[in-house]
Amino acid sequence: MKVMAQLAMVMNLDKCIGCHTCSVTCKQAWTNRAGTEYVWFNNVETRPGQGYPRTYEDQRRWKGGWELTRRGRLRLRSGGRLHRLLTIFANPLMPSVQDYYEPWTYDYDRLFTAPAQDDVPVARPRSLITGKETKITWSANWDDNLAGAPELAAGDPVLRKVSDKVRLEFERAFMFYLPRICEHCLNPSCVAACPSGAMYKRSEDGIVLVDQDRCRGWRMCVTGCPYKKVYFNHRTGKAEKCTFCYPRVEVGMPTVCSETCVGRLRYIGLVLYDVDRVGEAAATPDPKDLYEAQKGVFLDPHDPEVIAAARAEGIPEDWLEAARRSPVYRLIFDFGVALPLHPEFRTMPMVWYIPPLSPVVDALVETGHDGEDAGNLFGAIDALRIPVEYLAELFTAGDVEPVRAVLRRLAAMRSYMRRINLGEEPDESIAQAVGMTGERIQEMYRLLAIAAYEERYVIPTAHAEQGARLEESDLGGCSLDYAGGPGMGGPFGEASGRVAPVAVETFHALKDRTTSGALATGRDDLRGRVNLLNWDGKGLPEGLFPPKRASGGTGEGES
Amino acid sequence: MSPADAAKAGIRDNDWVEAVNRNGVVVARAVVSHRMPEGTVYMYHAQERVVDVPRSETSGRRGGIHNSLTRLLVKPTHLIGGYAQLSFAFNYLGPTGNQRDEITVIRRRAQEVAY
Repeated sequence: MKVMAQLAMVMNLDKCIGCHTCSVTCKQAWTNRAGTEYVWFNNVETRPGQGYPRTYEDQRRWKGGWELTRRGRLRLRSGGRLHRLLTIFANPLMPSVQDYYEPWTYDYDRLFTAPAQDDVPVARPRSLITGKETKITWSANWDDNLAGAPELAAGDPVLRKVSDKVRLEFERAFMFYLPRICEHCLNPSCVAACPSGAMYKRSEDGIVLVDQDRCRGWRMCVTGCPYKKVYFNHRTGKAEKCTFCYPRVEVGMPTVCSETCVGRLRYIGLVLYDVDRVGEAAATPDPKDLYEAQKGVFLDPHDPEVIAAARAEGIPEDWLEAARRSPVYRLIFDFGVALPLHPEFRTMPMVWYIPPLSPVVDALVETGHDGEDAGNLFGAIDALRIPVEYLAELFTAGDVEPVRAVLRRLAAMRSYMRRINLGEEPDESIAQAVGMTGERIQEMYRLLAIAAYEERYVIPTAHAEQGARLEESDLGGCSLDYAGGPGMGGPFGEASGRVAPVAVETFHALKDRTTSGALATGRDDLRGRVNLLNWDGKGLPEGLFPPKRASGGTGEGES
Repeated sequence: MSPADAAKAGIRDNDWVEAVNRNGVVVARAVVSHRMPEGTVYMYHAQERVVDVPRSETSGRRGGIHNSLTRLLVKPTHLIGGYAQLSFAFNYLGPTGNQRDEITVIRRRAQEVAY
């Protein structure tokens, strides 16, 4: 047993309202640059829908992820090593600009410069690739809220699997939102596909990153990733991907997408896993067993044997403590409501989802039934074939039973808590029907509905001794100020100059600002340095003004 | 609009359409989805009136916005209480929504638009 720690995320899809705040803030933070116009490290898809890029889940077409050879060994779907070497100069199979979209802007300048005319001037759409006028025909989220679904939903690879012909009618409309970031897989096919060794999985927290100095732009990672979450920056000619906001999580702050999530549906925590078991689990013969196999790789952070083995691997004590308090572990194991996205790709994804009960509730309410009654809900979960099978194709390779079990638990929580909210006697039989206790249900309710910031994001800070290793490793670090990187802004504005080095003290100041209600006062470690960007306008941070001259003194302040 | 209504008017998803009634005209692109029931058409509010709005075939002028189709008639009761900023005018800022049913025609227009 070789214990490793992995930073993982769970998203509760019932709480996603599809507002795209996560996508927008992520883009502002990371991909607001030339060359990355079409790059969405975080995107939110409406399901049923084609996703972004279009039909990325259809691996017969895009050849992402792993497949099993006839002998039961794992092999990249894009071909074995020899095949990839022989075809290295051929263009890799990757989505075209039509599958992403042609980024555009509007010629706002015309609003100011147009000559006098009868009508108000209007800004026309202009392609950011050719600079010419364009007609907008596709975007990162074109089929939002089932827009155009009668024509477009047929292209959804998941819907195609559910049934040859799903009738798309007003009476049967069901939909939900699926926010996606990089899965930071345990068995990443993008890393395996990279010919120049530029992609790597960080050993201490499992975040998958691209070394910009080593990347040679072969783009095999784009083909290799079945979630299509590695993007090609056409300005720098290098690959870029979601970084799990590593500069933030290293100092204990959640990712930008989690921090800004309006529905508070994201949970971040550590899981411990046995790295020796990953390969075997990923090669599980039946795809439907992959969900259980992946659970089998995780280790119980309360188990003394696991703790001892983790210490032997040098995992620090506060990380083990964080693993014991991990909301991700609790949602996967204690409550059993989180499922992996597309385990059949065999990459062992580390962003898990709580499937939405809302399509079932909506169907009940719209037909005039009580959507919070346990009997009604259990019956509907069993009877409604389409939404449940669709969810199963997303989360359990088509196996309906685990999805049904999760939905029954969520339904039980709904009706159990309704009785309590109405001041009625709690009904233990509801909890027992789903193999839980009333107490467990209340704990789950607490974590899903009202958990505070510190309960949703249990992120241990990086250790200085590990940090030094990170910066001086042969990977050459992973700076943000490479040519065309997020740190290379123009000469003016907040993106100007060199990027400030990721420093523990500035992030603590930022964290204080976002998490504490107190005044942003000078911290000891900030003495003599004032960063006005971190000043919230309240109080006078130490060092903002020069110290008052002592009367008759030398006038030399201490700070 | 619903797929059934779109089929009746020969409209496909993302086609340019014009909605016309006695109050005005709006040019927009159609979203066809089975989330809409047949017989109902909905236009999302807060359209940018200076972005990507072409000339209409009906009027030859700029294509209008979602409010172009609705008209407000301010009632005397709306002026009670010192609301001096509300005075009678056509299509003027009003305190409530459109107060009367209007018959509106929605049709597919030429797909080559002029700005």
